[in-house]
Amino acid sequence: MAQLLNLLPWRRRRLERELDRELRYHMERRVEDLRQAGATDTDARRQAALEFGGLAQVREDVRETWVWRRLDNAGRDVRYAFRMLRRSPGFAITALLSLTLGTGVNAAIFSLVDQVLLRPLPVSDPDRLVHLVWRGNSLASHWGSGYLMSYPLCRDLQEQREFFDGIFCRHVTTVNVSTGQQREPVRAEIVSGSYFPVLGVRPALGRLLDASDDLQPGAHPVIVLSYRYWMNRLGGSPEVIGRKVLVNNYPMTVVGVAPAGFPGVDPLAPPMLWVPAAMTEQAANIDAYWDRLLDRRAAWLNVLGRLKPGLSTEQAKAGLQPWFTSMLVADARREGFPRVTAEQRTSFLASTVDILPAPGGLSNLRGALERPLWILTGGTLLLLLLASLNVAGLMLARGAARSRELTTRMAIGATRTRIASQVLVESLLVTVAGGALGLVAAPAAARVLLAYLSWDRDIRVHIDGGVFAFAFLTSVAIGALCAIAPALQTGRLPLIAALKERSPLAGDGLRLRKALMIGQLAFTLILLVGAGLFVQTLAHLYDEAAFPSSRLLMLSVNPPGSGYSPPNADRAMREMYQRLQEVPVVERVAAANARILSGGAASTTLTIQSDKRFVTDGAVARMRVGPGFFATLGTPVIAGREFDEADVRPPGAASTGERTAIVNESFARRYFKDRSPVGYRIGLGNRPDAVTNIEIVGVVKDIGFRDLRDAEREKVYFHYWDRDSSGGTFYVKLRGSGDSAFAAIRAAVAQVDPALPVTLTMFDEQIERSLWTERMVAALSTGFAVIALLLSAIGLYGVMSFVVTQRTQEIGVRLALGATRRAAVWLVVRDALVMVGAAAAIALPSAWVLKRLVEAELFGVRAFDGPTLVLAMAVLAVVTLGGVMVPAWRAASLNPTDALRLE
Amino acid sequence: MASARFPIPQGTLDMLILQTLSLGPAHGYAIAQRIQQVSREAVQVNQGSLYPALHRLEQKRWLKAAWRPSETGREAKFYAITRAGERQLAAEKETWDRLAAAVQLIFDEGS
Repeated sequence: MAQLLNLLPWRRRRLERELDRELRYHMERRVEDLRQAGATDTDARRQAALEFGGLAQVREDVRETWVWRRLDNAGRDVRYAFRMLRRSPGFAITALLSLTLGTGVNAAIFSLVDQVLLRPLPVSDPDRLVHLVWRGNSLASHWGSGYLMSYPLCRDLQEQREFFDGIFCRHVTTVNVSTGQQREPVRAEIVSGSYFPVLGVRPALGRLLDASDDLQPGAHPVIVLSYRYWMNRLGGSPEVIGRKVLVNNYPMTVVGVAPAGFPGVDPLAPPMLWVPAAMTEQAANIDAYWDRLLDRRAAWLNVLGRLKPGLSTEQAKAGLQPWFTSMLVADARREGFPRVTAEQRTSFLASTVDILPAPGGLSNLRGALERPLWILTGGTLLLLLLASLNVAGLMLARGAARSRELTTRMAIGATRTRIASQVLVESLLVTVAGGALGLVAAPAAARVLLAYLSWDRDIRVHIDGGVFAFAFLTSVAIGALCAIAPALQTGRLPLIAALKERSPLAGDGLRLRKALMIGQLAFTLILLVGAGLFVQTLAHLYDEAAFPSSRLLMLSVNPPGSGYSPPNADRAMREMYQRLQEVPVVERVAAANARILSGGAASTTLTIQSDKRFVTDGAVARMRVGPGFFATLGTPVIAGREFDEADVRPPGAASTGERTAIVNESFARRYFKDRSPVGYRIGLGNRPDAVTNIEIVGVVKDIGFRDLRDAEREKVYFHYWDRDSSGGTFYVKLRGSGDSAFAAIRAAVAQVDPALPVTLTMFDEQIERSLWTERMVAALSTGFAVIALLLSAIGLYGVMSFVVTQRTQEIGVRLALGATRRAAVWLVVRDALVMVGAAAAIALPSAWVLKRLVEAELFGVRAFDGPTLVLAMAVLAVVTLGGVMVPAWRAASLNPTDALRLE
Repeated sequence: MASARFPIPQGTLDMLILQTLSLGPAHGYAIAQRIQQVSREAVQVNQGSLYPALHRLEQKRWLKAAWRPSETGREAKFYAITRAGERQLAAEKETWDRLAAAVQLIFDEGS
């Protein structure tokens, strides 16, 4: 311990001072004694010195007792490295900046990856949680997102105890909750009775739901509150148990509170309350199509389960499949099974059950972010590698520049190990400092990322232990990576040769530096190609959004949420529709039941009656829109007409269900081939008794609906006013643009009910929001590519300057012998271009490998896109030339006489 | 005996220092003098190795040091043996005795 303390500089200085005094005392006493014995002053001094031996050696030996030699050397190396770095700030700053950028961006992305993708659910033994997925055609209508199954199937699955310790189902929805005075829409999870028992959650208060709450449809009016909702809205009062609250105007009793921090199965969108599935019809905000809790053709639940201990997903999958197949066979024999073609039946019966690990639960946001985040992680890793290659290159350059110094030191006795360790310490110092700075910069970088994730979700910047460890380990790994090459290089210095005037070391060192440079250029090229693809994807998607969006806005209202009965809600909607049309700044207005491009879409199976009767292969995306909807959005009608006012059901008249429909081009192409579907009839659902009384009145051009990518999916539009409106969205096209109209529009709605909450969104904003991941990926990949280009240009400048210095003499000779200046420039440029060529030869096959990772994220462009590759190479070549410009110019402007005199 | 003075065997210097200091504190020069006098000039202490040994023993806490005025009146660094040093000295003496006895036995056998 004392030896460690002796490393402290002030302590060290005292020890040195005292040693000096001690040795001086000894010498003086000896000289005195010898003089008293009769020696002359000079002789005495000589004799004393001889007896003592080398004073410097003694000092060194004493010092060694103070601290362990290795430790001392390390301390000295650090101090030395600091001095050397201070002496070349350009190198230090470039290296530090490269690494700060590299680790900072990496830590930021990793903190997101960790939070969104890797964190397990806070329940017992999350590793055994799995997600059950139906692969194949389920012939079902869909409601919700992700992989969906029907409630009866979920109940069947709960009986399968051979492979599972339990299976449960859930559906996320928004309900209007009234706890007294205030009423608000909150996120709710509709769950099977097995939900809490299988997850193994204990209540914070009261009890949680169990199997006894999910027996008879409509017979269990109970709910469980989330801890957060209980604290924030009900003041954490224990008297809440047994209290009645209105859920979508249906009275339900609170029986318990879930524990703090339990987020349901979606940690990124925790619900505020849980409702038993048996109460779906009463409590959940179900649209008119959905009154079939027991319908096997209605898929609306995500199914999860807990595997028995020690069982793999593969084993469970193989074990469950025979039962699943027999279930399919039984299902196909059931009365009410759709009349399908032989082909459709075969595809139904060939369906399989898949079992996916789900330790982190299920999350829509995670689904949307998974690929982009992995792609960005890949990008940052490339960037980090590139940065470290750059630093390694810089270090090699320093090593070369210092070869004279280093070899001199070796010549006077330093060992190779000592010198190599000095170089190593210097590299480690830079990289660890870079890593530390990167960590400091990481929260800021993560905040920038989150700005792109402007989404009302529960993601925050967390730089926790895991992220810290990750960043630290990467920076140390990089340190080692950067340091090894230069350290080895110095370990191999040819001593005598290097001491001579012109060192042949250049050959070896330069080859290594060029190899590093090629690596950097290859990474840059990959990043450039990636950026090119993602930017094009974004551009194509913007093209897809061919709406008059700067003059378009969406206004959403939900009268039932404010306590309107269905007939009253319908009346209010009609009145608002009238008022909006009378506002002077409004050019056009149309009603619809949903906001497009908001990530969700319902879908339904259909029965089609053309010359024969048949059912659709799968579910068709559906939406209800009012007259003028397509005109408002600027979507062309290809055949027939769009809904008009004459189709509108008179106010107060009882609904007789859907009467007219419009389909999109893709639907017409798939089910009517080259005929026009106009005039034919369809029916909802695919049961044999489905009534086909809905007339197709028109065909419209494909538009994106859930998002801008799904334009080509088959879609059907029904008439908005055919059913009692329960709220919805008005699409308003303005005469002028933007903000001034907001007040007038709000005022028009307020005339109907000033207390009704209204959500106003400009369509521009909606498009931006629907493209947020694409924008993030495009922006970040472009940023990465620019940084990569910059680093490469710097690196290349360094290498080529070195080359020119090394070849000054050669170039001088050539010029003296009559070579043109252009030839001299070419000498340098050719070198650089060869490196770019080599980089391309490495990068292009890698881009081919990466194809699979990025393909699903692309739109309107293929992963191995010729023009993009050519453009990326062109950009790289141009920047490369920029990087070699100065060295090349220096080569060309060499004065042959000076160059030769250098020798 | 080939030479009047022989260099001390490796590792014995520590023992000699400890032994010398067990009689009382002394500074480096005095220690060197005393070892030479007591061994009747037979042992030559290499003064170059004395100081590293002193510092090593100090780092091991077998010696402690203090600056005091010496017999000439000037300040010198006086070393004194510690408890741990005394224990070490006893242990080394015992080892030495055993070694010497063993060597003696071997010599007796041969004669």
